[in-house]
Amino acid sequence: MKKHTVKNIEQKKEIWLYIDFPLLALDAALADIENIKAESTIAVASVQKNVQRIVCCNSYAQAWGVDSDLSLSTALAICPDLLVLPRSLSQENLLLHRLALIAYQFSPVVIINDSGIWLDLSGCDQLFHGYSKLLQRLHRQILRLSVTVTTGIAMSPLAAQLLCGQQFQYYLPNEDEIHRNLMTTELFKLPGNQKQQNNFKQLGLENIGDLLALPRSALSQRFSAELLETLALLNGEKPCTFTRFTPPVEFSDEIQIPHGLYSKDSLLFSMKTLLQRFCVYLMARQSHCRKFVWHFEPLLGECQSMPINLSASNNNWSSLLTLSRLQLERLELPQSIEKISLFSDQFIDMPELSFDLFADQIALNNQASTLMDNLYARLGIDALSQPSMSEEHLPEKASSMSPPHRAKNTNYPTSKAPQPLWLLTNPVRIQQRNHQLHWKQPLTIVSGPERLCGNSWQTEQQRDYYLACDSKGARYWLFRESMNKQWFVHGLFS
Amino acid sequence: MPNNQPLNKLLLRHDTWRGRNPSLRKHVVATGNNSLDKLLLGGWPVSALTELVSQQDGIGELSILLPTLKHYTGEGKLCVWLDPPYQPYAPALVNAEIPLDKLLVVRSKDSREWLWAAEQSIRGNALLFAWTNRAQPRYAALRKLQLAATENLSPVFLFTSLAALNAHSPALLRIELESLKPNILSVTMHKLRGKVPGAKIQISLGDIITERTFLDRLPVNIHYPQEKESDYPLPLKHKVQQLNT
Repeated sequence: MKKHTVKNIEQKKEIWLYIDFPLLALDAALADIENIKAESTIAVASVQKNVQRIVCCNSYAQAWGVDSDLSLSTALAICPDLLVLPRSLSQENLLLHRLALIAYQFSPVVIINDSGIWLDLSGCDQLFHGYSKLLQRLHRQILRLSVTVTTGIAMSPLAAQLLCGQQFQYYLPNEDEIHRNLMTTELFKLPGNQKQQNNFKQLGLENIGDLLALPRSALSQRFSAELLETLALLNGEKPCTFTRFTPPVEFSDEIQIPHGLYSKDSLLFSMKTLLQRFCVYLMARQSHCRKFVWHFEPLLGECQSMPINLSASNNNWSSLLTLSRLQLERLELPQSIEKISLFSDQFIDMPELSFDLFADQIALNNQASTLMDNLYARLGIDALSQPSMSEEHLPEKASSMSPPHRAKNTNYPTSKAPQPLWLLTNPVRIQQRNHQLHWKQPLTIVSGPERLCGNSWQTEQQRDYYLACDSKGARYWLFRESMNKQWFVHGLFS
Repeated sequence: MPNNQPLNKLLLRHDTWRGRNPSLRKHVVATGNNSLDKLLLGGWPVSALTELVSQQDGIGELSILLPTLKHYTGEGKLCVWLDPPYQPYAPALVNAEIPLDKLLVVRSKDSREWLWAAEQSIRGNALLFAWTNRAQPRYAALRKLQLAATENLSPVFLFTSLAALNAHSPALLRIELESLKPNILSVTMHKLRGKVPGAKIQISLGDIITERTFLDRLPVNIHYPQEKESDYPLPLKHKVQQLNT
């Protein structure tokens, strides 16, 4: 007797998970619709051969007897209160790509099918401490999009699709269990045409086990080459050649609000949803964002844009929402907003996480970046500046105020003579009264001069700088132009 | 038997100060000047609001904070200068070894924005230097900043005018800065928990008189016109003094 040993399929090279979305059309149609009663009977219909037919419906409608492929008129006759929504293939595609982005966080190999997604889970358990934890987290993430989902797990993509059950599996079946289930799978689930199905019936074949029991040479004589190719894919003998999913190079998403939003606070909920989707995208791309743009579109009138710049990379939706909220306060919006969209194409690769002995420094940098972003969002970019230094002789050129993070290198030699902490942006000419310098009150020279020459080849500027003080002890930085012998105050020694 | 529970709860609060509490001196950062440290019971109070009342700009009100600024920016902390009266001069800051990328100058449009930016900066764990150029903030606003400061791990400095001396303030420390002689700053302590107000010291801001003093060639008088020459013991050269007399 042949001894059966139960091998865990974790030892196999490939583990494929197929996630099926049986109500994708309905979930996509309901994605942007609010205020629907929980127990409503809802169905999605589309035109098929000039007849409106039901594509799919929820469980309440099914309880009334409504089913897919039923004509719309029949469905309405059975269930008069049926809420019928038009099918939108573009929305379905959008939803499927959102789901693929979520899946991409769990596996580097994601393939999109018509109404489902394949994931190659081989080796992905390392990161999530086991396949069960991986599957639980994946399910939690998918449920956030409020979609109906079932899964199948096998050693090849096609087998996983055929073994798709009625619910989300949280455990990894062993090899024998998969093999047993696959062998008992009915043949009508196998992709192929009606003629092929009829041939199966004529031969008395009911399940895949019956088909695989036949020698390949016999199958090649009776069936087309396509079936043999399908069987090779089923057994994992032929590698999967489907196009892999990769996140798009730019992010763009929108939410339609047919009834319109009239206050800034009411915009925040939709903005939060879009930012959460955006952060899923960033996670999938393993990138951080540097800039993103909001577009608020009214029914009538011009679209209002709101760019958000980030001083440091960030991919945390709550902080992005805080920044958006702060900047939104300064924005004047039209009365009613019908569509909110979010766009970004400026990313940087996520830095590799490494152990740092001085983690406090990272925390400080993060705090500083968050603070700068908050100040920028509320006060505007003009309100923020940083002192910067240039290799110039004249003080007003040597020191300037630049936008944050654009300060130049400061490794320039500086004068050893006393220099003031405050600089007057424009030197103020001062008077002489009875050979006494006078600016607000009489000034007395304390020390000097230090001679500074500007770009002598452009403009002949030669200044002698002095330190002066007034009766109250305040100290000033004065200079006298050598050409016209006029005195100016240029700074304060604070 | 008296019920001490409310009192105990009150004593457990972070912002409740107990007289003769020796632990108070632990929450300070050295000013960089021994005399000033002694006056302030160890240094600038951390996690608290400090008011610096200055008679006028340019007397050295910022210079006494340079060691503290160098200390915190050296640690990588951001320092926010909120509504400074003038533009900071970068070469002077570089000379003082202050990294320019750790300084952020913020300009507010009104007192509401000023208060918001100040509170955000404190809560963002930045070192805040705030100037009250518009008007003296109200007690409630200062109380808000003081409460926010308790969560910050650095001091919070508020530069105010002389008018602030007559107003009540929740600040833990209030000092008045005055300069009667150039380069010599007089510091009067008006308020500090644990110390009787009124103490006064004079601190030197360092010798800033350069060697290259050719004042005899100047076409202007180097002496103050009033009869206060004795107040200005300037290190003038003998020849220069003769020329001017």
